[in-house]
Amino acid sequence: MKLPLSWLKHHVALTDDVATIATHLVRLGHEVEGVEEPRAAVKGVRVGHIVEKIPHPDADKLSLLKVDIGEAEPLAIVCGASNMNEGDRVPVATIGTVLPNGLTIRQGNIRGETSFGMCCSEVELGLADESAGLLILPGDAPIGVEVGEFLQLEEAVFDLSITPNRGDCMSVRGLARDLAADSGLALADVSIDPVPADASVSVPHIVVESGDDCPLYLGRRIEGVRVSDSPAWVQARLIAAGQRPVNGVVDVLNMIMLDLGQPMHAFDADRLSGRVSIRTSGEGEPFEALDGRKLALPADDLVVADESSVVALAGIMGSGPSGVTEATVNIMLESAFFRPARVSETRRHHAMVSEASMRFERGVDPAMVAEAMEQATTLILELFGGRAGAVSVNGSADAINTKEPLSFDFDRIEKRLGIKVPEATDAVLSRMGFGVSRSQGRMTVSIPSHRHDVSIPEDISEEYARIIGFDAVPEVLPTLAVTKPARADRSIADAVGSGFVQAISYAFISAHEQRMFTPDDGSDIVLANPISEAMAVMRRSGWPGLLGIARHNMNRQQPGAMLVEQGRTYEKGGQQGHENSSHRETNIIAWLMCGEVQMDTWHGKSRNADFFDMKGALESWLAFRGLSARFMANDDLQGLQAGQSAELLIGKAVVGSVGKVDAAIADHYDIDLPLFVAGINLDALPAGKIPRFQPLPEFPGVERDLVFLFDKSDRVDAILQAVQRAGGNLLTDAHIFDRYVGQGVPEGKVSLGIRFTLQDAKRTLTQEDSDGISASIVAAMEKQFSAPLRG
Amino acid sequence: MGEIDALKKQLNGLQQEAVAAFAKAENLNELQQERVRYLGKKGELTELLKGVGKLSPEERPVIGQSVNIVKQALANALDAAEATLGEAENAQRIEAERVDVTLAGRSQQRGCKHPLQNGLDELTAIFTQMGFDIAQGPEIEDEFHNFDALNIPPEHPARAMHDTFFLKEFTDQPMVLRTHTSPVQIRAMQRFLEAGNEPPLAVVAPGRVYRCDYDMTHSPMFHQIEVFKVDRDLSLAHLKGVLKHFLSAYFGKQLPIRLRPSYFPFTEPSAEVDIGCVLCDGKGCRVCKQTGWLEVLGSGMIHPNVLKSVGIDSDIYSGFAFGLGVERMVMLKQGIPDLRLFFENDVRFLRRMGS
Repeated sequence: MKLPLSWLKHHVALTDDVATIATHLVRLGHEVEGVEEPRAAVKGVRVGHIVEKIPHPDADKLSLLKVDIGEAEPLAIVCGASNMNEGDRVPVATIGTVLPNGLTIRQGNIRGETSFGMCCSEVELGLADESAGLLILPGDAPIGVEVGEFLQLEEAVFDLSITPNRGDCMSVRGLARDLAADSGLALADVSIDPVPADASVSVPHIVVESGDDCPLYLGRRIEGVRVSDSPAWVQARLIAAGQRPVNGVVDVLNMIMLDLGQPMHAFDADRLSGRVSIRTSGEGEPFEALDGRKLALPADDLVVADESSVVALAGIMGSGPSGVTEATVNIMLESAFFRPARVSETRRHHAMVSEASMRFERGVDPAMVAEAMEQATTLILELFGGRAGAVSVNGSADAINTKEPLSFDFDRIEKRLGIKVPEATDAVLSRMGFGVSRSQGRMTVSIPSHRHDVSIPEDISEEYARIIGFDAVPEVLPTLAVTKPARADRSIADAVGSGFVQAISYAFISAHEQRMFTPDDGSDIVLANPISEAMAVMRRSGWPGLLGIARHNMNRQQPGAMLVEQGRTYEKGGQQGHENSSHRETNIIAWLMCGEVQMDTWHGKSRNADFFDMKGALESWLAFRGLSARFMANDDLQGLQAGQSAELLIGKAVVGSVGKVDAAIADHYDIDLPLFVAGINLDALPAGKIPRFQPLPEFPGVERDLVFLFDKSDRVDAILQAVQRAGGNLLTDAHIFDRYVGQGVPEGKVSLGIRFTLQDAKRTLTQEDSDGISASIVAAMEKQFSAPLRG
Repeated sequence: MGEIDALKKQLNGLQQEAVAAFAKAENLNELQQERVRYLGKKGELTELLKGVGKLSPEERPVIGQSVNIVKQALANALDAAEATLGEAENAQRIEAERVDVTLAGRSQQRGCKHPLQNGLDELTAIFTQMGFDIAQGPEIEDEFHNFDALNIPPEHPARAMHDTFFLKEFTDQPMVLRTHTSPVQIRAMQRFLEAGNEPPLAVVAPGRVYRCDYDMTHSPMFHQIEVFKVDRDLSLAHLKGVLKHFLSAYFGKQLPIRLRPSYFPFTEPSAEVDIGCVLCDGKGCRVCKQTGWLEVLGSGMIHPNVLKSVGIDSDIYSGFAFGLGVERMVMLKQGIPDLRLFFENDVRFLRRMGS
């Protein structure tokens, strides 16, 4: 909300400078987002009198002026405008002036002629967006005075962000009341005498059917008005407050709304047929709003209607046809109180915001409803003539916002704020309209009708806090409880240790991406109001996000990508007994590897990622938390290439999957390098065991190598399991140390070298021990795989 | 000349011959051969000593003494030759093994955490060290937890200001993407009470939140940390104490803080919190718009209606709460100018800003 200082001073005679007033506003809870100072912005620009104008000898379009600004000698000024004459009064920016557009005026030389200032247009003074030439001031403008003062430019306009609880401060009056109470200055009495009714004017017939939602409705006819533009001072006020003038009557009502916080509406009385009722809408009832929108109303909107149609959505917007125009002669003024929740509901339903609805849904001051009616009537009669009838009063202000006075131990306030609150502060609260009394530690506070936001003692604590200022509150550390130390989540740290860069992507992806790795089985959670199609569905896989990021980076000359992301996936269908039974959020970690995993170096050649890079990363990550998984080939994992994809099992539980991304998907992301992904469901992982102590072996182990010729279809995990069984208790490790296919190995076969370690905790193993075990391994390989020992 | 004199003479000859041979050896291998030749089991000294048997018992100790002297002399000569040769060979080896230490090391490239993750981890750690427990909650929330329980009823103007993402097809009850981490306040309190506990309760809840707003300065998904404590006799002074401590700890310097009254439905009183500008130390710069202050978070004393919504008696207990935007904190700390960089995930940016 824009608050012009001159308007504010109409209500309270503030003497502080602009910066100090801004500080007070902030302390009182009204955030100052900016301060415009139109007058200060043209400081140094003075009224000048052109005493001589001759053409520039060397430039057709320039003039040489002598301008009197009240100094001993007139200033010589070179001027490029053409609309001024000798004798005119014009604004002159003197040397050193900084104009609103940032231009600093310096003594200059223009084509051989020295210029000691600049004559200004409205644009240069920041007063208009365009102008045809210099601003020509009235002939009686006093020479030499500051133009800002002569034009009565606003000293300051505060741009305030009014919090939604303070509807009362969406008005100059409301802000003035806060500032006056705070400073101790008097709040001016602006109330006026009621306008006497002209008996020749009929009283409108008003029926309030929805009394709960409209506890107070005032209507008055004014006949014989001549609607013209509003006078300059009204327009100036509106413009300063950021509003556009419309027509005389509307401008007056808008000005009163800004001034007192009470929105009003004027109907063209000749366009209303019959009585006016405040009722709820019927299903499908048409309404043509002032802004041109044509609506079919739902049942139960609160409306103002005549006998033929809806003429206003109560508290939000009038209808186009019933509005006041230049042709209007008879009007009906409305001033009312509509229940905030009702206005809010309808406003949200129609996505329709107006200055009126913003105030009604925050709650207007019932005590201002009649006052606004009288002030509007007075001004309209004064400016546009006409005769005002009696007011039809429906309902009562007293019935609205009646709250019992609060009564509580004062201690409660001081405990909450952590400071002593001096009794003198009560006076400020009183000036804000509260009725305050303290007695024996108890406090009783009655709440003024404009403060819809105050209803409990804690609300009073806030009043004290803003009066005293938060700066007065000391900084005290609370006593710290000893809690269980949090176990840090190492998921990302471990992946980072293996070379992966953590990415964070949006949790919503496109419907197309959703189908890459998950089936269309009704589990998708879809946004009703997405930012775009690309962010329309809650992800069920961490991979699409990573693929998009991989593309972004590959497009920027990266030879490869190793990415990891930790987050959640989201699916319909919840677990019983869970916090949300309608959906499931799963904590996951996802990896992506693509392109170069090793670059060309002096000691090695570059290499692209393959399945075993990805698998190795998973194995190390699991090992960091004391886990290992079995990798079960699975050709049916959606989006992964058959033959290079597997599920991870720990015990019987599937905890994740890994594989090469289908070529079609890789294509979609414009990636033509080997591309692998993996994912683990963190919620499905067993907790890693804390290792129990085992003594280190005292006796040396024996290492043996055996090389066999296997079928290519033989699985390494089965081979090693067989080795383990054959090796018995003494076998502590077995792994493949060599794999060879090629010359000397028949088609369909593979040579695998198995290295195993034997160790006994109690003794040094003998040659016989290791020979025996080797023999049983050889026998086992022969028996189970028909795999002969190679030479 | 008796046997003994002859033997002595032979010993002397052997000594001279051997010392000369040791000195002449050109490498350790040759020296080893010479050692074997003179001092080995079948070497010349052993051979020579076979003559001792012919001596009388009186002469044997005498010749024994000579033998020891010769042995010592040979050992010394051998050591000396060995040292000389060893040094030379070592020098050769060292020269041969010389490397260019400025060649790149053979390391596996480490990855890095996302700068937001660092922010989340650092901030959360400050609170856990102060005795706050970590809590999590769902990102897809019902309207009760996201709004109603936080004193934001449906018609409340603040509700409309939340730019909420709504979800389709939740028929039992409407669901939204949580617009803040404050619903974790409600959930953590509910869980705590259901487990039969009594306050004090101190919680830090980091997480992702969502707002339907996407431009230069808004991301539809971002991160918040919710911090609250409920206990007897907690006051605004405690809130200020915790704020001051954590902000100074995070930015690594003592920072002035300033509270401005504001409005949040779930706190009363409510305050926006400013810190002295971390970029200009409060002198005034472009980032703080010459004010010397930066708005960093919203805070307040928990509204009695919020405590009431979970069944905590606000006559006995009070609490403070605040919520901060992780993106903003990290941007201020690391001088990152544009929010969108976090979600673009350019690896060059992540490597430079993460760790």
